[in-house]
Amino acid sequence: MAYKPQYGPGTSIVAANRRKQMNPNHKLERVRSVTDEDIVLILGHRAPGSAYPSAHPPLAEQQEPDCPMRRLVKPTDGAKAGDRVRYIQFTDSMFNAPSQPYQRTYTECYRFRGIDPGTLSGRQIVECRERDLEKYAKELVETELLDPARTGIRGATVHGHSLRLAEEGMMFDMLQRSVLGEDGIVRYVKNQIGEPLDRPVVIGKPMDENWLKEHTTIFHSLVGTPYREDTEYIEYIQRIHSLRTKYGFMPRKE
Amino acid sequence: MTDATFPQVRIVPLRLLKPTTAESLLNKLASITGVQRILIRGPGLPENVPYGPARGNPNPHSDRSTIQVVDTEIALRVQVGEVILEVENDSLIAEIQSICDDFFVNFPYQIKTGRFMKTDPTLVDYARYGPDADPDLIGLADPRSGDRPVIIRTK
Repeated sequence: MAYKPQYGPGTSIVAANRRKQMNPNHKLERVRSVTDEDIVLILGHRAPGSAYPSAHPPLAEQQEPDCPMRRLVKPTDGAKAGDRVRYIQFTDSMFNAPSQPYQRTYTECYRFRGIDPGTLSGRQIVECRERDLEKYAKELVETELLDPARTGIRGATVHGHSLRLAEEGMMFDMLQRSVLGEDGIVRYVKNQIGEPLDRPVVIGKPMDENWLKEHTTIFHSLVGTPYREDTEYIEYIQRIHSLRTKYGFMPRKE
Repeated sequence: MTDATFPQVRIVPLRLLKPTTAESLLNKLASITGVQRILIRGPGLPENVPYGPARGNPNPHSDRSTIQVVDTEIALRVQVGEVILEVENDSLIAEIQSICDDFFVNFPYQIKTGRFMKTDPTLVDYARYGPDADPDLIGLADPRSGDRPVIIRTK
C-alpha cells in the first residue's frame, strides 16, 4: 500500500486546518486578489517593473560541473536566472489568526521549492530567490493563510502577535503598516520594513470572527478551540515528550 | 516615598484603546474628586523607526496623537492598554467601577486593586532626577524619555 502522510494528529477543527494547510494536494482557498505590483510594493525589495538584480550569472551561461545531484534537482526559475535571495516575514496574532510560525514553515516546506524558512515564536520569515519569492508571497497573501487584521507582513519591528487587539480588531503594529479604513478595508501604507508607500495597497476586508474560528490553526482557550479538548493531540504530544525524556536518560538493558 | 499608602486600581480593557476612547475614559476618571495620580501604560509608538532597515525614518501613526483631558493636553506616546489610578480612599473604587461598567460596553474590562505604581526610585530615576526628586512624581513618566508627568487641575 502506498504511503499516505498524515501531516499531524488531532480531531479538532484546528488540527484539521493544520493538516489541510500542510497537504500540498489540498488547494488552498483563494479569498482575495492582490496584483503582482502590489506584492512587489509590500515586499519593498525592488521597484515595480524594474529588472531583477542578480547575484550571479544565469546558470545557462555558467559552466556547470558534471554533477549527478544537479541533474537530479532542477533549479527554480529564480535560481536559473541568478536572482538575489530576498525574504517575506509574517506575524500572526494569537487571536485566531489563520496560520502561525511553525505551521507556516511546515506548509511552505510541503508546498514550495528552494526556500529557507526561519521560525520564531512570534514571526516567521521565508527566504528564497526573488522571483520565486514574489510567486510564493502572492499565494501566501491571497489565500486563506492570511487575514488582513490578524496577520501582519512585517520585515522588522514585528511586536504584536501576543498583545491584545486594537479596538477595531487590528493586531498592534508599532509602525502601523496597515490601516483599517472607515470603509472596512485594510490598506498597506508602508512596505514590510516600514517605509511609506507611494500609494496604499488594498489587501481587503478582515475576515469575520466565525470564519477565523473555523480556519485558525492556533488553539486558544478563551477565543477559540481549547487545546485540552483535543485529546488525541494531547496524547500525541505526551508520547513525544515521554519518549524524548526517556531518551535523554539513555535507558538500556543491563 | 510618602509614608501614607493610598489605594490603587488598575483598569485593563480587553482591547487596546484608540486615542478618542482613551480621551473619553480619562476625562471621566480625572473628573472624580479624590483621584490623585493616573498612569497610562501600553505598547510604545515611537516618532521614528527605532530599529530595522528603516531605522531613523519618521513613523507616522494615527494613534500617536494629542488628547485633551479636562483642561490639559497630553501627547500620547503609547497605545493605551491599561490605566492605573491612585485614589484618596477605598470608597472611590466603587465609583470608578461604576464608571467603567457604563463605559466599556463594546468589550469587557478587568479592574483590580493593589499596588501598581513604583514605590521607590530606581537607579535610573536617581540618575535622572537626583536625590531630592518629588516621590509623588517617581514612576509617572519614563525617566529615559525626558518627558515629565502632566498635572491636571480639576475644580
